[in-house]
Amino acid sequence: MLLVSPTLIYAVALLAVPLAAILVFSFWSQDFLTVDTTPTLKNYREALTEPLYRLLLIRSILISGAVTLVTVLLAFPIAYYVSFHVPARRKSLWIFLITIPFWTSYLVRVFLWKVILGFNGVVNSGLMALGIIDDPVTFILYNANAVVITLAHAFAPFAILPIFVALEKIDRSLLEASRDLGEGHVVTFLRVTLPLAMPGVVAAVLIVFIPTVGDYVTPELVGGPGGTMIANMIQTQFLKINNAPMGAALAVIAMAVVTVIALAFVWLNRRWLGVRQ
Amino acid sequence: MNISHQPARRAIIELRDIEKHYGAYHALRGVSFDIREGEFFSLLGPSGCGKTTLLRTIAGFEDLSSGTLTLDGRDMEGVPANKRPTNMVFQSYAIFPHLSVAENVGFGLRRSGKLREEKAKLVGEALEMVGLSGYDARAAHALSGGQRQRVALARALILKPRVLLLDEPLSALDKKMREQMQVELMRLQRHVGITFILVTHDQEEALIMSDRIAVMFDGSIEQLDEPEVLYRRPNSKRVAQFIGVMNFLPGEAQGLSGGRLAVDVAGLGRAEIEPGQFSPDLDHGAVSVGIRPETMSLLFEGEADRARVASGTVREVVYYGDMTYYEIVLDGLDSHVTISMKNLVDRPVLDVGARTRVTWDARALVAFAA
Repeated sequence: MLLVSPTLIYAVALLAVPLAAILVFSFWSQDFLTVDTTPTLKNYREALTEPLYRLLLIRSILISGAVTLVTVLLAFPIAYYVSFHVPARRKSLWIFLITIPFWTSYLVRVFLWKVILGFNGVVNSGLMALGIIDDPVTFILYNANAVVITLAHAFAPFAILPIFVALEKIDRSLLEASRDLGEGHVVTFLRVTLPLAMPGVVAAVLIVFIPTVGDYVTPELVGGPGGTMIANMIQTQFLKINNAPMGAALAVIAMAVVTVIALAFVWLNRRWLGVRQ
Repeated sequence: MNISHQPARRAIIELRDIEKHYGAYHALRGVSFDIREGEFFSLLGPSGCGKTTLLRTIAGFEDLSSGTLTLDGRDMEGVPANKRPTNMVFQSYAIFPHLSVAENVGFGLRRSGKLREEKAKLVGEALEMVGLSGYDARAAHALSGGQRQRVALARALILKPRVLLLDEPLSALDKKMREQMQVELMRLQRHVGITFILVTHDQEEALIMSDRIAVMFDGSIEQLDEPEVLYRRPNSKRVAQFIGVMNFLPGEAQGLSGGRLAVDVAGLGRAEIEPGQFSPDLDHGAVSVGIRPETMSLLFEGEADRARVASGTVREVVYYGDMTYYEIVLDGLDSHVTISMKNLVDRPVLDVGARTRVTWDARALVAFAA
């Protein structure tokens, strides 16, 4: 008991208490600086009926979904290459190199994308110098596209690592067995490699999807009005409009939606791989 | 030994001057031999001798550095593993963990163009053949080692390969299970009539199951013979040492007489070695004389003297229940010989230090270059 208690205190103080506080807050109401602690469902009613909140929530899920799709689709070939084609003694070096983007602050990386994607940014001046475009393109900054590009880059290592681990765990004799039983490389990939890599893919999906739904730094900096997400609204409620209970209610709803989607993925994974250990 | 006594059949696999290099490592050195249609053939050797490389070469998982490999008269150069009429039972069994038993067994049928009912029937038959009827829906991870191996066998045999390749298939099983599977494999091979090529480092396993055995050392074939010939007339000291137990005594060759090689053997005296049990280039000079433990015996009290008797002291006694192995130091020698004796009711087990007399069957002596 004595040994467990530090961990328990840590978990309670840093996970359970904040969560409970948010939950409790969401049933309160606030008028400017006075917090009314009478329990009410007013915030939830408003959150579910006000079109703006619904729009932001749906947009967050769509942007996050796009980020997840792009990240995982790009991460898979990289993980596959490192696992299957890089010599064993160089693998750790490759994994190490893949984590390099983490060496810089997340904020700095977001700003860099601003520089790259901006009106006079690297992409536009490059394309204009090459004569491919005459005027700077604007669809790559201050909208949802910019958010997807920036987040996909930021989360790439998070997606590569679990997929890499899943691929590493595949017994190579299984691939030989498939070849031995008459299948070529492509069918072997589809019938053996991909199903066995699914746990890694699902892990990557969850690792990318869950934090990106709630991201507010990237949409704030590169999203513009069209790229604003639910977390920006939550931040606004707490810090600008002084309506913490409303912000808390939105946070709880966002969490609930993410939980449902995450559970659906876990369930799908179990079903597909029902016979796996 | 797999006693099928078939007449000599035509070769199904012909290997000619096979060479395999991995960088600086020379894995196969000029391997040439034939494997006959329908036989149970074993590649036997210590780890690193190239036997698995050779098997994987036949399967198509390894390219040859040089030499030719023909299967059914067809050159296999450039034919990938998935296009060869061979199937393999992997050492790890390589059972697909995400598929059920039936899906594993039917894995290779996708390309057969058969209807679903036909495939299900074939899977059922294959499972019945390996004694796993009713396991169709079982998850692969819920199988024991022996069951996994049966699934691997069914999965390979369902495609009716010309040659079945087995890479140390029994090494992961415990002793009882292994002995049971050895018998089952032999029975299965006779039943399906397919050529089996077994890779093993277990000499006993090879002797039990094979029609013929190729003993490999350092990437080349040292001796290729039937089990009995291999055991009784090994052509080199290392083959003799690798297969069973053999005692070696120093000797001095005294020339040929009537096709036999006369040798003065330390501890045993003058002996004449049978034709075929010594290399033709031995004539005079130092040789090493080999004799198996079961072709020597102790003379107990009251047993009649024999023509050939030596005396010695018991140095070690290893009791096995049915047999006892004695290490005997013969008078005038430093090293010991191992002698195995059947434990009969009226036969005592000697103690360490006891004096004893030893006799041997001179026809069993084999001579090697010293």
